[in-house]
Amino acid sequence: MIHLQSLSKTYDTPAGAFPALRNIDLEIAAGEFVAIVGKSGSGKSTLLNMVGGIDRPSSGSLRVGGRSIQGLTHNELASWRGRTVGFVFQFFQLLPTLTVAENVMLPMDFCGVRPRSERRKHAMSLLDRVAVADQADKLPSALSGGQQQRVAIARALANDPPVILADEPTGNLDSETSIAIFQLFGELSGEGKTLLVVTHDREAAVSVSRTVTIVDGCVA
Amino acid sequence: MIAPRWRKVFRDIADTPLRTALAVTAMAAGAFGVTMILTSYSVLKRELKTTYSDTRPASAVLVLDGLASDALVDSVRHMPGVRDAESRPVIGGRLFIGNGQWVPLILFVVRDFGDIRLDRFTPDAGAWPPGDGEVLIERSSLSVARAAIGDRVIVRTSDHIERPLRIAGTVHAAGLAPGWMEHAVAGFVKSNPQMTQRNTDKGSRVDSNHLPLSASSADQLRILVTGDTLDEKHIRDVANRVARSIGHVTRIEVPTPGRHPHAAQMDTFLYLLGAFGVLTFALSAVLVATMIHALLTEQLRQVGVMKTLGASTTQIASLYLGQVAILAAAAIAIGVPFGVAAGQAYARFAASMLNATITKAMPALWIVAAEVAAGIAIPLLVALGPVAHAARISIHEAFSNDVGGKPFGTRRFDRWLARIQWMPRPLMLSLRTTFHRRGRLILTVATLAAGGAAFIAAMNVSATWTRTLDADGRARRFDIQAVFARPYPAAQVMQALASVPDVVHAECWTEAGATLGDANVSFVGPDVNSKLLALPLIAGRWLRPDDDAVAVINQSVLSLDPTLHLGGDIPINVNAHVGRLRIIGIVKELAPRATVYAPPRAILRATGKPPGLARSVRIVTRQRDVAGQVGASKAIEQALENAGISVAGIQALSDSRKSFSDHLVIIKSALIFAALLVVLVGGLGLTSTLTLNVFERTREIGILSAIGATPGTIARDVVFEGMVMAVLSWCAALLVSIPITFALDAATGQMFIRSALDFYMSPFAAAVWLLLVLILAALCSFYPARRSARLAVREAIAYE
Repeated sequence: MIHLQSLSKTYDTPAGAFPALRNIDLEIAAGEFVAIVGKSGSGKSTLLNMVGGIDRPSSGSLRVGGRSIQGLTHNELASWRGRTVGFVFQFFQLLPTLTVAENVMLPMDFCGVRPRSERRKHAMSLLDRVAVADQADKLPSALSGGQQQRVAIARALANDPPVILADEPTGNLDSETSIAIFQLFGELSGEGKTLLVVTHDREAAVSVSRTVTIVDGCVA
Repeated sequence: MIAPRWRKVFRDIADTPLRTALAVTAMAAGAFGVTMILTSYSVLKRELKTTYSDTRPASAVLVLDGLASDALVDSVRHMPGVRDAESRPVIGGRLFIGNGQWVPLILFVVRDFGDIRLDRFTPDAGAWPPGDGEVLIERSSLSVARAAIGDRVIVRTSDHIERPLRIAGTVHAAGLAPGWMEHAVAGFVKSNPQMTQRNTDKGSRVDSNHLPLSASSADQLRILVTGDTLDEKHIRDVANRVARSIGHVTRIEVPTPGRHPHAAQMDTFLYLLGAFGVLTFALSAVLVATMIHALLTEQLRQVGVMKTLGASTTQIASLYLGQVAILAAAAIAIGVPFGVAAGQAYARFAASMLNATITKAMPALWIVAAEVAAGIAIPLLVALGPVAHAARISIHEAFSNDVGGKPFGTRRFDRWLARIQWMPRPLMLSLRTTFHRRGRLILTVATLAAGGAAFIAAMNVSATWTRTLDADGRARRFDIQAVFARPYPAAQVMQALASVPDVVHAECWTEAGATLGDANVSFVGPDVNSKLLALPLIAGRWLRPDDDAVAVINQSVLSLDPTLHLGGDIPINVNAHVGRLRIIGIVKELAPRATVYAPPRAILRATGKPPGLARSVRIVTRQRDVAGQVGASKAIEQALENAGISVAGIQALSDSRKSFSDHLVIIKSALIFAALLVVLVGGLGLTSTLTLNVFERTREIGILSAIGATPGTIARDVVFEGMVMAVLSWCAALLVSIPITFALDAATGQMFIRSALDFYMSPFAAAVWLLLVLILAALCSFYPARRSARLAVREAIAYE
């Protein structure tokens, strides 16, 4: 599902060129649940950003779902991302002025997935799936951190993407909630989703199928 | 069902009421300003034109040496090229306003108040038509007459015939210059058969109800031509033909076709309105740009999130452009109706100053439509760049919080700033933050500077006019000018004045009426050793005692014939004889009357008159203030009258200066109006911009609180930052105001006095704006800073 070959990313900084990733070779099969671990600044998030098309590699090749995403334009990339990848962030990043259900409907809206009349129903089923359906019409600020992250996961699933990428999804949650979130990820993996999760939380990450450790921009 | 992304737009607007209110207020202020100016401009331009053309202005006035009979007038009406004609004799004189004082008076004798064909006037108040012994006063000069309807006033013709007249009512003569501005009274009396009997009974006093037409009362035959009434050459051709046909025409006057006597003032005034309309427009555009910048800055993270969810560049751009359009529509809904109402009010005020009446105050529909379209289009256009930039931004950049900005220290200026170590650390932080966020700094400073520049320019131009007036006053070193009914021996005049203790010095100058081409010019010969005139020279030099066939012209003469130049000849026509004088100097005078100054002997040669005769005298009085000049005027007139010298008019310089100053009122009103508008728009813009600035820094303020800064320290530092921006904007405003002032000085001067005004930057204007901008900056920064500083640290850091 995810194929990285000699992938490198170098940032130009005022202090000089900074290699964030160096010659990464990585193969992740469909339905795998992979944890990416490593110290702060090791390049974990950069790797995730490359896979999700948030950032572009400096060299090497990258294929997701059999498609090379390096040559895509901004708009093609946005559309591809909306349909192929679901993102979950550490700070949830729900849009504060939209209700929970509307937040989940937003990706369908952007990508034109599903007829308009069915979107709310689908959003409700996803919220039900992550056990926050009763919060559907509240604003994110009225929810706890754990609930917000559940909503974020529902939003990531909105367009039924084959790949879910999560960047420290439990970094802002208590341990009990963290375990619940990882259980949810495990279920999604069992349903055939490919999950790539950047985490520090080794305790919660017990359910992963594989752990990739990054050290100084390289796969250890 | 509305798509969630559009719901986000509406909720973003609704959930940040203060920010929305600030943005809408700033945009509404811009829309208000532009609409107000556009409305008053368009209403005034249209109404002034119609008010004047509705009077059916005469194409030409033929001044006759006798009275025109009804039969003659009728025959002129049937002459080829003549559409209509009317005879309206004119009596020049003065009107007694009490306390020994007289004001200039012009009386128009109307044959039939039921059949006014040309240069029409309409009843305003009181009776119509006037009866025998009654006068109708032009409404704008009633205050000059210091009388009311029903009052009896004494008028004295230039032949010294005094009659009482009862003011029966007032009329509106839109074609006449406003009386309060001219410091003269215009009146209309009924013609009666006795008038046709020439009466030069000099001794007659208040013993008859009839005002006689005398030798010096000129009949004016007004004609309106057929064909192109705006073609001056065609008008002259027709007038000359009529003159040849009827004979006894002493002079033909052709007013500039289609131009009100105060058209120069109106043009200057409308130009200023237009110029400040453009400036307000620019200011509002910068304001909108600032608002949009602030809006997008705080939304960048959300842009990143939406992009991760699959939003395309177009979708993001349309969301924010939609938001801008909604805010702009709200701003228009507030700004345009208020702007129209205020513009109409101002148009009414300005029209009253120009003695015009606004009959239809509604601005043309296209003006309103254009303003609404511009009110939406400009914010969208201004937003296009920043929105496109924000929509195209990479998700990585959107999340990293330092969009497009280079880290502090990468620029040379940053490093220079970093070397400043003597300031308290929190202040240093403020200063570095200010200069680090360049986009924000530039927009904020630009908004404030645009407002400041317009304000300072308006005040500068106003001050320049005052200085020009002062300078012209200083150039004329006499206090009183008396004009006689006919020439008298200068020795007789001087002898009469010698008995007046108030008179320090007097000079009788040689003067004559002359023409340059078709235009009338004054031909003035000051005493060869006169020190009473020191007009500022634009080029060349002033007259010297040994000069002979030379002339110094003023800028108005130059504008009549632009081919005239220093060293060249000017052909002066006196009594149908053209003489040539070499131009040795060009002077600048405030009064727009075309004047040629020449040595007295050159004028005498041209007129063929003997030396020693005077038609006027210029006098320096002991007490030079206004009261002194007025007091001396009475004594001087008495002394001259006692010596048998018939005074046609006597004017204190303070009075003529006041009259010119009153001519400037309308221009100054436009400038003050513009300045106030700019303060309003700029002030609101400044308030919004600075407040939003502090909002943008909420997270940073949270961090400062977290590391121990007190609310007081934070408020002080943020206020300091506001002050730094204010001072920077003030410097920029001063710089930008220079070319604006220069252009306005040149344009308004050229329009009004036919010469660019001397450039002047008013320190007062600069000081007022500095004070204003500092106070506003302090107030606008303090409250939001205090609010941010009082937020819980966690809240502030989590602030989106």
